[in-house]
Amino acid sequence: MTTLIASSRDYGALVKEDRVHSSIFTDEQIFQDEMERIFHRTWLFALHESEIPKFGDFKRIQLGRFPVIATRDENGEVQLLINRCRHRGAQVCEAPRGNAKRFQCWYHGWTYDTKGNLVGVTGPEAYDKNFSSEQHALPKVPRVGSYRGFVFASLAEEGMSFDDYLGSTKQFFDIMIDSSPVGEIEIKPGVVNKTMYRGNWKQIGMDGYHPHYVHMSVFKIFSKRESTIGSAVGALHLEDPFADVSQSRTRGFANGHACLDFREQRRSHAAMAIDDLQRSEDGRQYVADMVANYGQEHAEELLAWHGDPHLGLFPNLQLIHDHVRVVIPISPGETEVLMYPVFLKGVGPSINEKRLRAHEAFYGPAAAGSPDDAEIFERTQRGLLADSEPWVLLARGLNREQVDEDGSVTACISDETTQRAQMQEWKRLMTAR
Amino acid sequence: MAKQIVNAAPAALVGGIMDIETQLRLERFLAYEAALMDEHEYDRWMALWSGDDILYWVPCNDDDQDPSTGIAIIYDNRANLSERMMRLKDKTAHAYRPQAKLVRTISGVVPLRSEGDELEVASSFVLGEIRVGVQNIWFGKCVYRLQSTPEGFRIRSKKVMLLNNDEAMPNLTFLV
Repeated sequence: MTTLIASSRDYGALVKEDRVHSSIFTDEQIFQDEMERIFHRTWLFALHESEIPKFGDFKRIQLGRFPVIATRDENGEVQLLINRCRHRGAQVCEAPRGNAKRFQCWYHGWTYDTKGNLVGVTGPEAYDKNFSSEQHALPKVPRVGSYRGFVFASLAEEGMSFDDYLGSTKQFFDIMIDSSPVGEIEIKPGVVNKTMYRGNWKQIGMDGYHPHYVHMSVFKIFSKRESTIGSAVGALHLEDPFADVSQSRTRGFANGHACLDFREQRRSHAAMAIDDLQRSEDGRQYVADMVANYGQEHAEELLAWHGDPHLGLFPNLQLIHDHVRVVIPISPGETEVLMYPVFLKGVGPSINEKRLRAHEAFYGPAAAGSPDDAEIFERTQRGLLADSEPWVLLARGLNREQVDEDGSVTACISDETTQRAQMQEWKRLMTAR
Repeated sequence: MAKQIVNAAPAALVGGIMDIETQLRLERFLAYEAALMDEHEYDRWMALWSGDDILYWVPCNDDDQDPSTGIAIIYDNRANLSERMMRLKDKTAHAYRPQAKLVRTISGVVPLRSEGDELEVASSFVLGEIRVGVQNIWFGKCVYRLQSTPEGFRIRSKKVMLLNNDEAMPNLTFLV
């Protein structure tokens, strides 16, 4: 499902160890090649299982350049079907989501089931006996993988296994999922911030260097509050998690994944987090259930972490604070960002309600946090056009990186380990034959 | 979006809930509120709100998405709204610098219900925004709960249903 047209351009020369050429953010040809060489080759986040729980549930998604229908078939399997009628190419499914056991193309009435099988052709007598419905099913996305409800897909028939792709990031997914006392989260269809910014898709991601400046106004407002436990920037009133002297770390993984690792920094705030929860009946029950399910020690650290992995999976998924974030490149200078708040199962309603309010405070087009990120990305995109000195510097912290047992690279929270990890994977995929 | 008017009681549409003079005063008030928002006069706009249990609500995805089980673009009580004012005025809030240039028109002002000194009102707006060389056009319907006082109308709650609340939205850098 990829057309690798050979390029005479040397993409390898655009990414050095400590800098990248700004054309990768602005060039139209590079963008098109990114679609083929990255989005149509590696693993992309498709959707969460909870979005299509029952037989017939479906959702329209986009994978790379392709419109795709995600369905739940009668065997309970997730099917990812290319949303294009095999007859004359019309998009078969128009509704953004719903429940249907059949998809009918309204051009000439051809009908498909939830597995993509062609089950109805209008006036079949006009086709000769060599016409086989079996050969005209909606094409399936060739590889699908799932980790604890997170469904990923690859448009390439062959390549790195899903397990290898995730590598050692699984424990970070667990931080989000295990903040539910029953180890289950859900995304609600139709509950999502849909935003856009006029900048390149590679700008949004793990950066621990920017908050003091970009989110200065938030720090100012939060400094007036008694407590910022559970907020998008953590428990500011206890310690600044974005100071290099803190235990927060940037972490880069193989395959381009990256995270802002707040585990150590937040672990010491467990008592405060639990204290805060004990003030309500739902909170007390939540703490008790977490301890019962995970044991005292692990429950305490999970509660301290607030279900926030702050993890980015290359290229299109981020798990930040309390939401699942999907990045959709539209053009070199335009990106859509979907933010799905995550609901915990097995907790009282006020727990999730509080999470929703915390989400709204920072994330969304009129919130206090993410609009300033979008604004900075737009200012950057305008500046990048001036490529007389084309190199974007990503050297911060190169001289103080450490390598962990699992092979991931860490440095201080303000260092650019995360960007370097992403760019190395970009280079690998863009130059691979 | 317009279902509040479609479903309004016949009394509201046929006989009208208020006399023409009050209707005019109401429309002038809403035009004044719009002008304050266009000019980024945040303190004077805030002064139009009265009561401790005020609500400024801009739903997300669906006009009737229940905030107890879903998110909103804005869902502010008085405390939240005060923090929002702080940020709107803050020079380090980069999304709001420079401030957008705005012009909006208010129309379709229909009083829906009246009870004592409280009034429920529907209205529509079209808003033109220019910021850093980009022009956006925004549309919305509002439902207000207003209080009629000797000093004029005051806002108890305002629900703004943006036409694009289920589409990819750029930064919303001003009051709607």
